[in-house]
Amino acid sequence: MTQSPRKSGSAAHRQTNRSGRISASFIARVGLMASLALIFSYVEAIIPYNPGVPGIKLGIANVVTVVALYKFGAKDAAAVSVIRVVLAGLLFNGVFGMLYALAGAIVSLTGMILLKKTGLFSVTGVSMAAGVLHNLGQLFVAAALIEDLRIFFYFPVLMFSGIAAGILVGIASALALRALR
Amino acid sequence: MKQFIRKADIILFAVLVVIGLAASAALSLSHSAAGGDAKVVIESGGDLYATYPLSEDRVIIVPAPKQNKTDAPSVSSDEPASAQYDYYNVVTVSGGAVSVTEASCKNQICVKHGSISAAGESIVCLPNRLVVRIEAGQKGGGYDSVTS
Repeated sequence: MTQSPRKSGSAAHRQTNRSGRISASFIARVGLMASLALIFSYVEAIIPYNPGVPGIKLGIANVVTVVALYKFGAKDAAAVSVIRVVLAGLLFNGVFGMLYALAGAIVSLTGMILLKKTGLFSVTGVSMAAGVLHNLGQLFVAAALIEDLRIFFYFPVLMFSGIAAGILVGIASALALRALR
Repeated sequence: MKQFIRKADIILFAVLVVIGLAASAALSLSHSAAGGDAKVVIESGGDLYATYPLSEDRVIIVPAPKQNKTDAPSVSSDEPASAQYDYYNVVTVSGGAVSVTEASCKNQICVKHGSISAAGESIVCLPNRLVVRIEAGQKGGGYDSVTS
């Protein structure tokens, strides 16, 4: 196995160089991962499936976020996630959809980072929690926009779909991480 | 090799499932049969738009808060709603059930939602910020209000 010297050690994972600016390797890495995540978003947007209830989505693009979090750290994951959500919002989902997705992304990212720090959970568990938090974040934005708490009737549906989607994304991420080791 | 599932994952999974089940049980209890004088409440953009009795059949065109057309819409029931407004929902009350039969939005989730007839049920259209819900009447024996 050959390993390039630049990838060895923690140097490859450093986000800033000595002058404190964002390093070129960080930009390149995040750019690559964001475009990969965007392609996942696109693939998901063109698959015609209708679960019948709004808000149910697999969110395969989040595999990239989870892998980024475990492989490179919270800053990479946050950058990839926000870039992907903004671009996918502009391209496929519309500005309103972007607002919901952004809220979900921020809540689930925060949850993932905190749960990962505890060290108790596997990738699957962290991703499951992230799936649930993602849906809850969207629900809170929807409740704030529509100014009606009755929207929480969707809570159980979003809860279970978040668990299912999170587990699937988590297993896919765990497999991807194992292949990347 | 990294473990796929740990003990903490299973505990977290159980906790989340229990919360979900508890929430769905609580919500299904809060649904009650609509009484004879139940009301259809329509909210647009967070404000009350109109209230109608559930027992009377009617078709209501609800314009969304945001509109592109600058000229005042010609209010005529002969014209389809799409000719009058850019963003709208058509709410139909028929035989004690309420449904959104037409919507300007892309996803059509409110239309696919189907009809509602029990107090506490609601149809929501996020793009047009519309909420249609049924409130139990005084004699209906239902709840005065539903907190979620």
